[in-house]
Amino acid sequence: MDQMTNALRGEGIALSFGGIKVLKGLDVDFRAGEITGLIGPNGAGKTSLFNCLTGAYSPQKGTISYAGQPLNGLPPAARAARGIVRSFQHVALCPDLTVRENVMMGLARTGTAGWLSAFLPLPRGRQERSDMARAADAALADLGLPDVGDRHPGELPPGMQRLVEIARAVVGKPSVLMLDEPAAGLNNAETQDLTAALRKLVSPDLVMVVVEHDMDLVMSICDRIYVLNFGEFVAVGSPAEVRSNPDVIRIYLGSDEDE
Amino acid sequence: MSDQVSHMPSPPSALSRLSGLATPGVTAVVLVTLLLFLPALLGGSWTFTLGLCFANSIGVLAVSLLVRYGGEVSIGHTFFTALGAYSVGVLDTRYGISLWASVPLALVLGVAFGLLFAWPSRNLHGIYLAVTTLALALAVPEMINNFDGLTGGYEGLYVATPFLPGVDMGAQRYYVALAMLVLVCFAVARLRLSRQGMALLLAKTHPAAADAFGTRRVWARISVMGISGGVGALCGATLAFSGSTVSPGGFTFWQAIFLLVGSVVSFYGLSLPRVLIGGAFVTLVPQLLSASGAWIPVLYGLALLGMILIGHYMPRIRKALNRNRETG
Amino acid sequence: MTVWDSLLYDLFPLIWSGMITGCLYALGALGLVMIFKCSKVVNFSHGNVAGLTAFLVYGLSSGVLMSLSWGAAVLVAMLAAVAIAFLIYSIISPVVFESDLTSTIATLGFGLIAQGVTLLMFGADIVALDLPIPRFAFSVLGLFVTGYDLTVLAVAIVTIGALFIVIDYTKLGIAFRAISENPFAAEVCGLNLRSVHYFAWITAAILGVIGALLIVPTTFLSVTTVATFMLQAFAAAVIGGFASLPGALVGGVLIGILMNLFTFYVSPEYSSTFLLGVILVALNIFPNGILQKVGGSRV
Ligand SMILES: Nc1ncnc2c1ncn2[C@@H]1O[C@H](COP(=O)(O)OP(=O)(O)OP(=O)(O)O)[C@@H](O)[C@H]1O
Ligand SMILES: [Mg+2]
Repeated sequence: MDQMTNALRGEGIALSFGGIKVLKGLDVDFRAGEITGLIGPNGAGKTSLFNCLTGAYSPQKGTISYAGQPLNGLPPAARAARGIVRSFQHVALCPDLTVRENVMMGLARTGTAGWLSAFLPLPRGRQERSDMARAADAALADLGLPDVGDRHPGELPPGMQRLVEIARAVVGKPSVLMLDEPAAGLNNAETQDLTAALRKLVSPDLVMVVVEHDMDLVMSICDRIYVLNFGEFVAVGSPAEVRSNPDVIRIYLGSDEDE
Repeated sequence: MSDQVSHMPSPPSALSRLSGLATPGVTAVVLVTLLLFLPALLGGSWTFTLGLCFANSIGVLAVSLLVRYGGEVSIGHTFFTALGAYSVGVLDTRYGISLWASVPLALVLGVAFGLLFAWPSRNLHGIYLAVTTLALALAVPEMINNFDGLTGGYEGLYVATPFLPGVDMGAQRYYVALAMLVLVCFAVARLRLSRQGMALLLAKTHPAAADAFGTRRVWARISVMGISGGVGALCGATLAFSGSTVSPGGFTFWQAIFLLVGSVVSFYGLSLPRVLIGGAFVTLVPQLLSASGAWIPVLYGLALLGMILIGHYMPRIRKALNRNRETG
Repeated sequence: MTVWDSLLYDLFPLIWSGMITGCLYALGALGLVMIFKCSKVVNFSHGNVAGLTAFLVYGLSSGVLMSLSWGAAVLVAMLAAVAIAFLIYSIISPVVFESDLTSTIATLGFGLIAQGVTLLMFGADIVALDLPIPRFAFSVLGLFVTGYDLTVLAVAIVTIGALFIVIDYTKLGIAFRAISENPFAAEVCGLNLRSVHYFAWITAAILGVIGALLIVPTTFLSVTTVATFMLQAFAAAVIGGFASLPGALVGGVLIGILMNLFTFYVSPEYSSTFLLGVILVALNIFPNGILQKVGGSRV
């Protein structure tokens, strides 16, 4: 029952933009200790659901809770403070920061050094920076990027940038980790590294949700899969159940999936 | 993102890393050493002008800070420089209190008013914020003249209390400005390494990402305004001391634009050499052209345009050259 | 009784004259908004260029440069304004497509140059530049109405009417609206962004000249008169949402009246501070301008 309490839940999440219903009353129950997959064709509303859960969008209807505590109305930063963290489908790294510093931003919410240390070389701020840098380097190494810390994101190929983005999400030891298309743009070797790293991350306290178009990856790592189409779930279940669901087959054969 | 001011060539960090010796720190130390001995070689009037250069450099830095860390452009920084200058001027002439107390006061006031202005304008971006800062700049001379009991109105104030009693005043005006500039540049360089500074940079380029990692964009905007306002006030305080007079003429709307021109001319740089270029431009152009005042706006305008067009075409030219080199 | 008197003798005339100046602010604001709507640039050179052209009218008609008739001088100045607008846009157009903020800063550069050129050509002196209009005045319902008032009102109505007709019915005007709505889609549909931008910049310049010529008789002409006047136009544009032509019109009249009331009832010394306050308040209550409904599902 421990797993149930640490779940990220949504009930009746409905979101529309100017009359267009993007999410039509979704119920989700993302459990800790599992990897949950969220799949569906382009424009199904996967990213929008993430945005609702992290607070970037405020859904018109529905409740969202983590570990039994309601999250509705909390701004994204407050949700981040509770360890709810995400990666972005369109890589959102800061070009002015080095790769290591970008990853360090995943720890920003844990920082305690005040403004004085921001302007003066006080031991507190230095200590904080070196601690964060060490954690960032470790996170990068876990994802197979040990030597790029001093480079700038723009100098890296797109696949590596995406891994950096993921490193930033995982470095802060989140309690909910939502990855939006983590394998998009990765080559085979990088996808292998990513798969291994994600498997290693699984822990009884971590809720992990992965939006992904790479079916092999989804089917191999996910414990449960939600299939979204036009803002509605058409199937929920284990990879085997989802794979054999006629509706899912129809959706995927009907559209040009598989990128 | 078409509304980012990010088309200026970035500092040649790769180059300086390659040549090993000329790291930004070393360059700054060499430069400061040079500046320390300059008054011995120059006459009094040049020393005085250089002091003003340093002060204006701090103002240019304040504007560039807002661009680099906030992605926003201000055409109203004379509000903050005036705040700092009158803190020094008023405490000096009315109460005989020297920089020891008036500089901290200027800093506090600058930060406080930066925050105060940032709050109602926290949701404004790009040109909307720029126009609002413009209104801020316009309100400045009016406020100064209306508080003439305190500010001396049109006549202004004369700052004469030494910072270090017994030391030659001309030297003080130079070295205090230099020290302020170096300190501010140092603090700003530290900011780049701090958690807060990095969060500001992330919030500038990807506000949604910053939000998702615990940095609220409103916090970012307000902090950046506070910092920039504080630095702006320090510029004003230094101007008051090194320039010895504080009067409304120094804080007109045009002066605010000149600060922005200085910032553009220095390619929004935050390092000591860069801001010195901007400050020197703002200070020296009017001095050199003082005989033919009408040319000053023309020259400023041309410099502004020139730098923007260079910033626009430089990357292209460089790319074309590189391509030629690769093929040739 | 006294309340009624003060209403009659202070408030109504204040509102009337505020509305007259407001029409002029609106002319300035319309130009700024036209440029902003399609090219996303705030043209800070608007006031100084209009000021330069007003000086050209003065120079050409007073004998300083030439002794043309007033009408001929205005025609030449208009042509000059069009040429300047064309030149400015041509120089910054590559930057316009890259960053609107950088190109906005570039217009500050042109503003400085225009100011310098005015100083170089005409010096820093104050000159008088009047309109060749019949001088008469009468009062209706306690309002003192002058020939100047009526001229301003007539010119403003005709100009703004013409502008809206051009935008609504001509090919360029329709392209202008399409591009303002969605530049990308409009370009895909084969509309030429650049020619529409030129249209907006040139129209704005003409509006600027008209506004400048009409405002100058109320004060005098100096290097900064028109630039200062245009700052009110900025406020008007901001209040109207900066991207709405009717908004600019309403904003202009509103600013005219508010400034008049403030100067009279509160203090003439804090008018810029008041303007700052108005802008801040307006932008917070109506982030998209007074004519736009608040709301929508923004995050
Ligand atoms: N801010 C917004 N304003 C208007 N419409 C939006 C907004 N965000 C998303 N939408 C619409 O919501 C729908 C779902 O978009 P969403 O990005 O969530 O899809 P997705 O499942 O993530 O697709 P993809 O696989 O392409 O990433 C789309 O039709 C999109 O146009
Ligand atoms: Mg998506």
